[in-house]
Amino acid sequence: MEIINIFFVVVIAPVIGGLLFGLDRKLTARLQKRMGPPILQPFYDLIKLFGKGRIAANQFQLISVSVYIACTILSLILLATGQDLLVLLFVLALGHIMLILGGFSVRSPYSQIGSQREILQLMAYEPLLVFMVIGTYLKTGSFLVSNLMTGSYKPLLISLPAFLLTQIIVMAIKLHKSPFDISASHHAHQELVKGIYTEFSGAQLALIEMAHWYELILLMGFIALLWQTNLIIGGLIAFACFLAVILLDNISARLTWKWMIRFAWTFGVGISVANLTAIYILR
Amino acid sequence: MSNFIYYVPLSIILVALILAPLVFAFVISIVRSDYLCSLIIIVIAAVLAISSLILFARVTITHQIIHYAPGLIDWNLLVTIADFGLMAMFIRMGVRRKSVLILVFAVIQTIILAWVEFGPKHTEMAYPPIFIDWLSIVMTLIVSIVGSIVAIYSLPYMREHERHQNLTVSKQPQFFRTLLLFLGAMNGMVLSGNLLWIYFFWEITTLCSFCLISHDETEESLRYATRALWMNMVGGVGFITGIALIQLKNLPMDASRLLQLVHTGNEAHLVALLMLPMACLCFAGFTKAAQMPFQSWLLGAMVAPTPVSALLHSSTMVKAGVYLIIRFAPIFRHTGLSEMVAIVGAFSFITGAMLAIGQSNAKKVLAYSTISNLGLIIACAGLNTPLALAAAVMLIIFHAVSKGLLFMATGVVDQSIHSKDIEDMQGLWASMPLTSLIMVIGILSMLLPPFGVLIAKLAAIESSIQNPLVMAMLVIGSTLTVVFWTKWMGRMLATNPRADGRKRESLPALYAGTLAVLASGAVILSLFVKPILENLVLPAVANYYNVAGMEMTPTVLSAPWLMIFLVIALSVLAPTFFNHLRSSQIKPAYLCGEQIASHSTTAQFLTVADSAAEMTVRGYYFEKVTDESVHVKWVTIVATLLIVILFGAVYLWK
Amino acid sequence: MNILQKSRAKSPWILHYDAGACNGCDIEILACLTPVYDIERFGMVNVGNPKHADVLLVTGTCNKRSARVLKNLYDQMPDPKVVVAVGACALSGGIFHECYNVLQGVDGTVPVDVYVPGCAARPEAIMEGVMMALEKMNQR
Ligand code: SF4
Repeated sequence: MEIINIFFVVVIAPVIGGLLFGLDRKLTARLQKRMGPPILQPFYDLIKLFGKGRIAANQFQLISVSVYIACTILSLILLATGQDLLVLLFVLALGHIMLILGGFSVRSPYSQIGSQREILQLMAYEPLLVFMVIGTYLKTGSFLVSNLMTGSYKPLLISLPAFLLTQIIVMAIKLHKSPFDISASHHAHQELVKGIYTEFSGAQLALIEMAHWYELILLMGFIALLWQTNLIIGGLIAFACFLAVILLDNISARLTWKWMIRFAWTFGVGISVANLTAIYILR
Repeated sequence: MSNFIYYVPLSIILVALILAPLVFAFVISIVRSDYLCSLIIIVIAAVLAISSLILFARVTITHQIIHYAPGLIDWNLLVTIADFGLMAMFIRMGVRRKSVLILVFAVIQTIILAWVEFGPKHTEMAYPPIFIDWLSIVMTLIVSIVGSIVAIYSLPYMREHERHQNLTVSKQPQFFRTLLLFLGAMNGMVLSGNLLWIYFFWEITTLCSFCLISHDETEESLRYATRALWMNMVGGVGFITGIALIQLKNLPMDASRLLQLVHTGNEAHLVALLMLPMACLCFAGFTKAAQMPFQSWLLGAMVAPTPVSALLHSSTMVKAGVYLIIRFAPIFRHTGLSEMVAIVGAFSFITGAMLAIGQSNAKKVLAYSTISNLGLIIACAGLNTPLALAAAVMLIIFHAVSKGLLFMATGVVDQSIHSKDIEDMQGLWASMPLTSLIMVIGILSMLLPPFGVLIAKLAAIESSIQNPLVMAMLVIGSTLTVVFWTKWMGRMLATNPRADGRKRESLPALYAGTLAVLASGAVILSLFVKPILENLVLPAVANYYNVAGMEMTPTVLSAPWLMIFLVIALSVLAPTFFNHLRSSQIKPAYLCGEQIASHSTTAQFLTVADSAAEMTVRGYYFEKVTDESVHVKWVTIVATLLIVILFGAVYLWK
Repeated sequence: MNILQKSRAKSPWILHYDAGACNGCDIEILACLTPVYDIERFGMVNVGNPKHADVLLVTGTCNKRSARVLKNLYDQMPDPKVVVAVGACALSGGIFHECYNVLQGVDGTVPVDVYVPGCAARPEAIMEGVMMALEKMNQR
């Protein structure tokens, strides 16, 4: 069972993730009255990037990317094998921080500023994720995903509705979608060039791209956990959230990091804490 | 081997751990020879480390808590006399430094001490003053091993330090004398159970820290040393008041019997009497652990030579504060006092991390991070569940190693680039690869998996869930922590791409040795978190709360840490060793195509009229948002209020 | 065509550099991004960063200063890469031909694979040019 899960996570997850990103680009294009690239576009991009000649700025970039993708896959495996959610979050954070350090490792204004802002993105979403995990702990008495899945609990969404909203925020921040595309963006041509990703190229960039696919699946998995009794419904909710994020991306403009932190830490943390408080009181 | 360990008399171990440093401190101040001094330090370091390990092995084998009364002379009397001697010294210092505060607190302490010693005595003092349980062992190991490593590290450091000062007479003997005294006193403190003994050693550490901070005898260092002294003496007043109250209420004067009161469970009224003294002791702990609002002494202490900071922050001094609180934590379990201790700690955790973000001075960042981490430890003590205490003890261990390492590495960098500013450390990865690698390891070990500090932090969060306010503060605080550490690492790593690769760095043997030991220690200890928890931490906590070991294994430990460790190690090592960039593959950073030259230190681009301009990048410090002078004000006010509420809680919230 | 070549052909990421154009050609390139032409349907993305780019679109004629920048940008692109010169200026200097400060077309500075004529070059022609360049890249 474990093996199947791991296989599914390592092999199938990126395929779904890539398709979702393809869908994202297509939908975005349609929303702008364009035809848009084929759904398979992310895969073409990825294969092309793997086939590029290698250039880099230093050895550390290679290390940082390798840790980034390893940690992302690892955290997805931890999720699929029913491990500790809190540990998972910090493994994910390790990967993210290594990526930030990779961006920092080149003295280039674009990648430096991108990395600084990426820290702020991390800072904005991290508490929201942790609060959600704590919410699950409060309902199930454990951080273990396996415990959540096997126990006979009502769907978490009923008691933790706020976290659906915070997870959308987290997803938008993590995918660098407007209005949270502060440190980089999926479409270039901003004052930051490609922000934190500016100095990565070729296979390194491909690995980062792939890690994003895993990350998307992970985030959707998190949302799916909110309807743990039936993962198909959970998956559909997650998919709806993803669509919401795409919509949000297309109807909003990029805002400043101050706004982002303020929004995430007042609204996001606010509703998280309110929800948790309600659980404490109702217990 | 085990026989050997068992037959080393306890008295010898204790002499080696407590008295030997004191005696050799005396010897050093007489011989006044640098070489002999170095020799003594290295020998003493070895003796301390070995004896602490023997003590550890002995307790592991026998599973006994040791109560021991040293013989030969009346040690209690000696401690009493020395206590008054100390007070006299404090008063003298107050006069010499013309500090009213020191004088006032010293006099108050003397009066209360005199009352305790000579006033109406109800409790008999015959109970064995030495009390060694698992917590003592953990602390002794940290003091003796990490402290000794810092001592060895200071040998080359102080030599270099003095080279810049053009002194006529070397002050090194003085320095090392105080250092040894400090280590001996710390060992004494954690190994004794008698409150008056603990108090005595506590005051010695206060004195030693004053001497060490003022070591350079500049105007600045004297000023900060004075501040450190009076703030710690406030704590001393709290401590002796606590002792006096215990005596007044005719309660036992030693830790083991106080803890016994809780365990027997039928002395609830006595335990209730203990709350006010406990609040006083916690207050003393806060001052020593530099919790808000007493943070400023630890920040001022950074004017001292770096080994002093390494010592104060990692294995001694501030750890004495948290030790005291943890020591008595079970007594105030399930009370308002405990809640408030948790809140005070969590408040320091979050504000310490917040203030660290705005700092660019490496030592200041480290100082705030220490305050923040100690806050976390104290919050754990306040949460007061077996799991929380286990987290606290783990944090003490891992924090000592990582923080010691970071300070020492900062010292090495400081002596090389003559700056403690993080902005000046930009690109250190290229110019000092070894040191910066060690620093990065040190920082990573402070905040990320699979390192011990994080595992302990997760356990802390897990145990804080029953206390929503503390939990929220811990979550937000952890996030803030990530910000300043990552920024710092980013500065060090920021290098200009260039084809000729990194250069070799040669460090003096003692630097390289001590740094390597601690860095590998940080990694290896984290690898063995589980055995450490099972063999060291859980026993410490178990006999504390009289619970079986299994109840408090944090679920974080059930995660497949070995796999996580392996995956991370592989993903780091594979590109390091099997995927080398060729120099033709290294391209300069993107500067809109205008780049002209890229060396390790500078990168230039062409600008108006083909003139070359230097490309500079700097870290974000969010000056407007994290302005220290603004925040310190409200933090101090809130923290003071919290402490007032803490005392109120003793009466109002049972 | 193997899968790598197919992917290359379907995912040209573009770096656009204006070496000294009158901006006429630049505007035409930007027009390609609009819903009318929508170059993204061919997977083309304007990345604005040589380290990510496969195709270098150069407009305008090179002068002594911009030649240096052009060279730098070209050097920072990872292989395989192609260059498309867009507009009469980039081809030969166009209306700036034999001006005292220009180096005539860009092919003296970087190896050009496809020349897209026109003043200004039409969006359709630009897209066609990129496609041809990709074919050339895959034949190499
Ligand atoms: S070719 Fe014509 S439109 Fe294009 S840049 Fe030159 S002058 Fe302008």
